[in-house]
Amino acid sequence: MTLDLRSAQIPHATPREPPRLATLLPLISVVALVLVFAATSEAFLSWRNFSGLAAQASTLLLACLGATFVILMGGIDLSVGAVALLCGAITVMCLNGLDLGVAALVPAVALGGLLGALNGTVHAYGVIPSFVVTLGSLSVFGGLALQLLQGRAIRFDSPAFEDLAIGQLVPMVPNIFLFAVIAWAAMVFVNFRTRFGRYMFIIGGGEAVARTAGIPVRRFKIYAFAVSGAMAGLAGALAVARLGAAGPTLGSELLLNSLAAIVVGGTSLSGGIGGVHRTLIGVLIIALLDNGLNLLGVNQYTQMVVKGAVVVLAVLIGQDRSKFSVVK
Amino acid sequence: MTPRATGAPLLEARGLTKAYGAGTVLDGVSFAAAPNTVVGIVGENGAGKSTLFNILCGVTQPDAGEMSLGGRPFRPRNLAEANRAGVSRVFQEQALIPHVRVYENLLLGHEALFCHGPLVRQRAMLDVARRILSLARLEAIDPGAPTSALSFSKRQLVEIARACFTPREVLGVEQGVVLLDEPTASLLKEEERAFFDMIGRLRAHASVLFVSHRLTEVLQVSDRVLVLKDGCLVAELDPASTSQRELHSLMVGRERDADYYHERRQRDVRGGPVVLRARGRTRAGAFTDVSLEVRAGEVLGIGGLLESGKEALGRALAGLLPLTGGAIELAGAPLRAPTAARLVARGLGYVPAERLADGMIPDFPIAWNMSLASGADLMAGPLGTWNIAREQDLAARFIDLLRIRGGTPARSCRALSGGNQQKVVLGRWLCRDLRVLILDNPTRGVDAGAKEEIYGLLRDLTDRGVAVVLITDELLELIGLSDRIAILRRGRVAGVVDAAGRKPDEQAMIRLMLASESDAVWSVGTDRPSAAVPA
Repeated sequence: MTLDLRSAQIPHATPREPPRLATLLPLISVVALVLVFAATSEAFLSWRNFSGLAAQASTLLLACLGATFVILMGGIDLSVGAVALLCGAITVMCLNGLDLGVAALVPAVALGGLLGALNGTVHAYGVIPSFVVTLGSLSVFGGLALQLLQGRAIRFDSPAFEDLAIGQLVPMVPNIFLFAVIAWAAMVFVNFRTRFGRYMFIIGGGEAVARTAGIPVRRFKIYAFAVSGAMAGLAGALAVARLGAAGPTLGSELLLNSLAAIVVGGTSLSGGIGGVHRTLIGVLIIALLDNGLNLLGVNQYTQMVVKGAVVVLAVLIGQDRSKFSVVK
Repeated sequence: MTPRATGAPLLEARGLTKAYGAGTVLDGVSFAAAPNTVVGIVGENGAGKSTLFNILCGVTQPDAGEMSLGGRPFRPRNLAEANRAGVSRVFQEQALIPHVRVYENLLLGHEALFCHGPLVRQRAMLDVARRILSLARLEAIDPGAPTSALSFSKRQLVEIARACFTPREVLGVEQGVVLLDEPTASLLKEEERAFFDMIGRLRAHASVLFVSHRLTEVLQVSDRVLVLKDGCLVAELDPASTSQRELHSLMVGRERDADYYHERRQRDVRGGPVVLRARGRTRAGAFTDVSLEVRAGEVLGIGGLLESGKEALGRALAGLLPLTGGAIELAGAPLRAPTAARLVARGLGYVPAERLADGMIPDFPIAWNMSLASGADLMAGPLGTWNIAREQDLAARFIDLLRIRGGTPARSCRALSGGNQQKVVLGRWLCRDLRVLILDNPTRGVDAGAKEEIYGLLRDLTDRGVAVVLITDELLELIGLSDRIAILRRGRVAGVVDAAGRKPDEQAMIRLMLASESDAVWSVGTDRPSAAVPA
């Protein structure tokens, strides 16, 4: 995988590049992690492991892509995991009840977009911080999903749908990875070449400026949350396809992992800095950590400690603290 | 006036120089302040007054030059260091914490001196606070009251008292230096007197450096007056032997010059079509029943004091504040729900007063800031794409056209000077098919040269038939540029003055703004060169 996208593919790179070292750091971390795990684990450098890693990273990447827009815009979407879970549950219902096959992706994505738009509308028109709105909806959506599943994992039987994730259009590469890479490329395009993408930077960098210039800020906030929801829905549906079932634990790791990946990648929680292209690297770091620590037999609780520390450390190093005098 | 003190200077500065990028904001400034004197500092916006104060109190480091305090070298690296050496400052913006009590604010940062183990000796703090307040003749203020309960101007006095007397009472600084940045800008008339009394008493203990736009006041209170212009110290005067007129001409180097405002380019527009018409617009708490119309090619000036409602009127006309009552018409078509997005789509533009907060995103490239308002039309490609080629092209053209020095489309706006930043904001609207442009203090913080260029651009716009609404605190600009001037007073139009032919004078404007309000609050932080406080 070539990851040096910072300048080559994006001539109009992010406007507020953090200092040079901080920009390169996520990339250096990926290389370092690969080297460390390659040296310490024999199983790490194998196609089998890589395709497993790719499949795992793909779900996370899909869920992060939309959420990156929300963070770039200066908001936060805590409901990503819950939306993925609810959409995953609906997907299984559609597969089992309506026998939709591959078309079951459509209701999942549509529902995700709708739930996101709901978040965005309450946030933008109710003038409630997105943190609070999505904290609430995280519980609402999660509760609804668990009710649908009645707390159990529900299997489905549709080889075609399963193939969406675990089939191999390209030998040795799971399809879900193709989905994720294509979605990533599309979102990078959206971020840097469309009105929506530009407005995410502008609203995050200066909402007051956007308003005085007549940019329909509230409408675009809703769009951002809708995109975040739709991508979470897609991630949920494809995760279901990969696992062959929708269970209560689906998406439970997405809340922490998505925020971690986005922030570690270099999109600032203060808004206006970063971009979707960086999220790929953040996802790789988180997925590599998970995978490598697993292979090394590090127990799950220690992994939690390591991951949490990495997130805080990444922000500590990457953030240009001279710009903030007060942090709340 | 107390007798002028003499002797060795308390504070001395030699050759202070500071540059930001290509712009030198302070150029070899040297002066000395004797103990127990009041030094007034005057100059236009951007003359370097704030930078000078920033260097003196450690907020900014000079590129060259040195300072000494009480005969010893003085080079504070931050505000706290300057405070400890005995230099304190009252900033233009209030720096009191509203939710705590007055005495806590007065002794902020010195709590450690009042600690007994882990406990704070509240009574001792109250005693010292009371002493400070009585030195400042503010006995009427209860040191135990919550700060937020005080009026804005009372808080201002508390802040001044803190800067003046806390170092002496708490740190035992015998001879301090107090920097006052526009301290009277928001004081009521009778409080101004209290303030001048305070300065008189302070003189016994400290030297005071005092920036103000009110020349009468400066002449009244100072022992010496320094005049800054474009970063240079152009004169050092004895207030007894100078006048406001002399100060003013030294500050700006020119009387109101018809050429400066391109007055010859002003044309008769009385027959032109009305482009913007507002009738009976009201915004609760800001302005009431305001009606106005602007014709194509006309400049309608809007003046008034700080709380006259003129800023809110500008924001409201731009669709940024919801209104009740009346109606608004743009180019003959009524608008039922005039949101900013709709108004911009129909050819309205708005340049807000706070350039860095509302006007532009300083860390973003010039091209991004210029195309900011055109996402829905000029920059829109197929399928919601952004036409980046056109954006770069447009930015390059307007950087050239507006002569934005040091600008390239990819460069961030932060690197530009205030004047060039403002040109970027103007470029955002000039690149569009504009019908109405509303400007709120467009030349605030802009140097004299760029000002003249901006005035020229406004005339270019009116030549194209654009209707301009100019809200400004600068009287000369208001008079020089406008065809008609509407003066707001307490949210109502107090009068509309014709300024197309013979220009009205500043005194007439001031009278309209003030009328019978003896306790009027002056607008803050503006060039009001010869707008003297009426006796």
